[in-house]
Amino acid sequence: MSTKRPPVKILGNAKPSKSRTGVPEYIRTGTNEDYRTYEVYQRERVHENTEKIRPVQLISPAFVQNPYPILETLRENYPCYRDWLGNSYWITRYNDVTSIFTDEGNFETRSKLWFYRMEGHGRDLRGELPVLTAFERAFDAHVGPVTEAIVADLKAKGAADLALDFAARLPMELLARALDLPVEDFARFVELFWRMQRGYDWEARDEQSGKLAMAELFEMVRPLLKTRRNQPGEDMISAIAGLDLPDGPATAEDVVVTLLEMDHETLHGALANMWFLLLTHPDEMSKVTNDRRLTNFAYLETLRHSTPVLWKKRFARHEVERFGRLLPIGGLIYCAAAGANRDPRQFKNPDQFIVGRKDLCQREPRGHYRADGLPAGVALGLGSPSKHPALPEDRPRSLYAITRDTAVTASNILLNALPDLRLKPGAEPTLRSLRLGEMHTCWNLPVVF
Amino acid sequence: MSTQPDFAEALSQAIDPALLAGEGDPGAVKDFPLMPLGETVDMGTAPDGTPLIDPRIFFSEEFRRNPWPYYRIMRDHYPVYFNKLNNTYYVTRYEDMTECYYDDVGFNTIPKGSSNGVLGNVTHELSGVEHRRRRNLFGQHLVGKSLENRVPAIERLATEMIDDFDNLDDSIKQDKDGVRTLELGRAFAYEFPVRVVCDVLGFPREAQGNFFYWYDSMMGGLGASETHKQGMEARQHLQDFVADIVEDRRKNPTYLYDNDGNIMGKDIISKLCESKVDGDYLSSEEITALIALVVAGGGETTRGTILNMWYSLMQHPDQFDAVIADDNLWDQAFHETLRHSNPIGGQPRHNTYDVEIHGIVVPAGSLMEMVNFSGSHDERIFKDPETFDIFRDDLYSGKLLRSGYNKDGKCSHMAFGVGPHMCPGAWISHQEAVVGSKILAKRLKNARINIDKMPKDIDGVSLAPIGINKLRDLWIDYDLD
Repeated sequence: MSTKRPPVKILGNAKPSKSRTGVPEYIRTGTNEDYRTYEVYQRERVHENTEKIRPVQLISPAFVQNPYPILETLRENYPCYRDWLGNSYWITRYNDVTSIFTDEGNFETRSKLWFYRMEGHGRDLRGELPVLTAFERAFDAHVGPVTEAIVADLKAKGAADLALDFAARLPMELLARALDLPVEDFARFVELFWRMQRGYDWEARDEQSGKLAMAELFEMVRPLLKTRRNQPGEDMISAIAGLDLPDGPATAEDVVVTLLEMDHETLHGALANMWFLLLTHPDEMSKVTNDRRLTNFAYLETLRHSTPVLWKKRFARHEVERFGRLLPIGGLIYCAAAGANRDPRQFKNPDQFIVGRKDLCQREPRGHYRADGLPAGVALGLGSPSKHPALPEDRPRSLYAITRDTAVTASNILLNALPDLRLKPGAEPTLRSLRLGEMHTCWNLPVVF
Repeated sequence: MSTQPDFAEALSQAIDPALLAGEGDPGAVKDFPLMPLGETVDMGTAPDGTPLIDPRIFFSEEFRRNPWPYYRIMRDHYPVYFNKLNNTYYVTRYEDMTECYYDDVGFNTIPKGSSNGVLGNVTHELSGVEHRRRRNLFGQHLVGKSLENRVPAIERLATEMIDDFDNLDDSIKQDKDGVRTLELGRAFAYEFPVRVVCDVLGFPREAQGNFFYWYDSMMGGLGASETHKQGMEARQHLQDFVADIVEDRRKNPTYLYDNDGNIMGKDIISKLCESKVDGDYLSSEEITALIALVVAGGGETTRGTILNMWYSLMQHPDQFDAVIADDNLWDQAFHETLRHSNPIGGQPRHNTYDVEIHGIVVPAGSLMEMVNFSGSHDERIFKDPETFDIFRDDLYSGKLLRSGYNKDGKCSHMAFGVGPHMCPGAWISHQEAVVGSKILAKRLKNARINIDKMPKDIDGVSLAPIGINKLRDLWIDYDLD
């Protein structure tokens, strides 16, 4: 009853030869064996040896803590890996990942609302110009005062955890101000917003919690929306209230769904990861302290080296042949930015954090995640590269630019206020996700100043 | 405004502080506690009281041994359950599955599914006319008159194997004080279906040694990538083996004989060699794919059924005694076993179009798993589904039905599926299990489970449940003459 391979019997006209793996294989001398239908041909190409990885590794705690080694195995061996356990495909090379992100015709993005199975419960209005304008205005106006308030709090305390006290707090405060929420609602808003953001994935309890949070957010926003429809201000809720939409006026659900899809992860995660990387790489830190113009480059290199959003899901809209495979209609494709950003085909020494690296695009990319002939770090929260000019006259800057400028401004204020910022002695911070599929960032970054 | 204390507090409300502190398992693998049978782990509840399902449960030992209460939650609350972790939709109610199985076009079997090329261009991954034509080619040899012709051969094989019990290795057989302790799996159930399949196909006897290698490797190579290569190699090995046999049989067909040595007809491979599709003979590759399917379907499944049937019966002595007393009850025992604990879990389908079932919209191309396990335990169809009762009056156990429903209102179990893709080996596996068991029952006097040698459940006393595990060993005692 052994599963060991039995000795090969040589029958008829088959002659055995020795393959590289030591397993005898046949050379067939028959004539009808050359013919392959397309389907069989496809199967044979799929017939690849994927022994270097087990699908269960892709849901293991080790992968959640540090996905980079496993993504490297995929990228260097199986550029379009069929994950049978997760019923999906993994794409990990830079050119492959970016080719999917810029190919809306073949690959569908499903919203967080879809994963909540709440389609139709609200409209995503991020793309409406007045909303983006209000967002830009609020972030530009408040990033200075809010960061200064945070720094004042840090100074008063005398010690800080930059991950929570700064990186996690700043986006939430900015968002609350962009919505012009009453001060007393702030804490509640933070809790509900976080629960909503964490609920759309596979964890059932969090999904429940997220749905309840959304229901509560609807009620929180509803009176505000009503008031501001009559007395509009400069904030995002007023902008949404004033929209002239084809399916009727905006509702509280629309506001909440817009927030759900907008999320905070890139700003939060990039700030935390950037400070983690700077504090753990003193040489790079000194570059930035000596020349404040390099903060921008540190931010861009962070998005490449340690992107907070590791991958995004795309679904094949129809059967499409890519990456040597026939991707079936409805097929789930994990586009791993974390794999792409460390692709040695694009970046020299990709695992090194180098502020101002020469092979990274240092401005907002256009087209296929490239500018000036150089690749940019794939950071998913920032969307596809903008088709508008970098400084448009008749419309707000892109989300990419707003987020970058916010992070850079806030970081420079922090650096100016606390010039002697350094890691708390003995601290060993790491990057990790709270759970499979969530933002990969630093959750604990104790500093002294 | 200083919101700092509020902020930390708010964050800790939204995120479990233990998770934030880096404690606990961030991955998607979890050890669930083993519960008493019929009870579920607490996976949380929605505000309206609906129990929640943690998708990690499906890969737990708890689920494998005690699946029924979880399937019940799914049937009652999530008739179409979307497992986001594995990107799969589970269909769990009998009626829904029947409908999907019948719609061969809307719920297709096109191979983005599990076989991953290991089984080759197999029939069950085709749909519509293509599927029907090929299936009928070999399916016709496994039913009706042509099956009846094979029963004497099945009987002969069973008798031969049982006669050989005296010569078994001591590791699976011990005699003491007129009582023989025997591991029924290795002594009989594992090898018997393989011998039958070889015989029916017209495989040379010497191929039987390879059968386990082919079977285990090909089954293990489905899906999981680290064993995929071995599966592909095994299939290549099988294909090479078959190709030569086929070339030979095209010129020199071989025959089946009855007990008196008279020719009853050609064996299946010889018949397939002269079969045509669209006016053309089948290629050796096509024949291999058909054979691969028979190899894959004909071994483990029947073995599991025989062991599950004996294990369940011997745990219900009154039913066992009734079967011993009346040979005709073996049919009922066979079907109730397949309903209660069948060895095959379900079948994948892909919806060709967007479909909405019970309010859940399933986008085209999604993987939809028809959970046969759950369908056979649907209380909408079968009363007290968790009870093993060969006398139950709501299970159809006559001639197998493709529709699942019989005129008298009884339903068949889901072990073979229903509709156009219903298991083509159903009839022959029925014969194997029943004929084999009848002969066994006559020869094994006063058979009973050897409780000491069998694994126990969590209480340490009662026998381990079958659940959706496959019974590996079955130790029995019986009296020697």
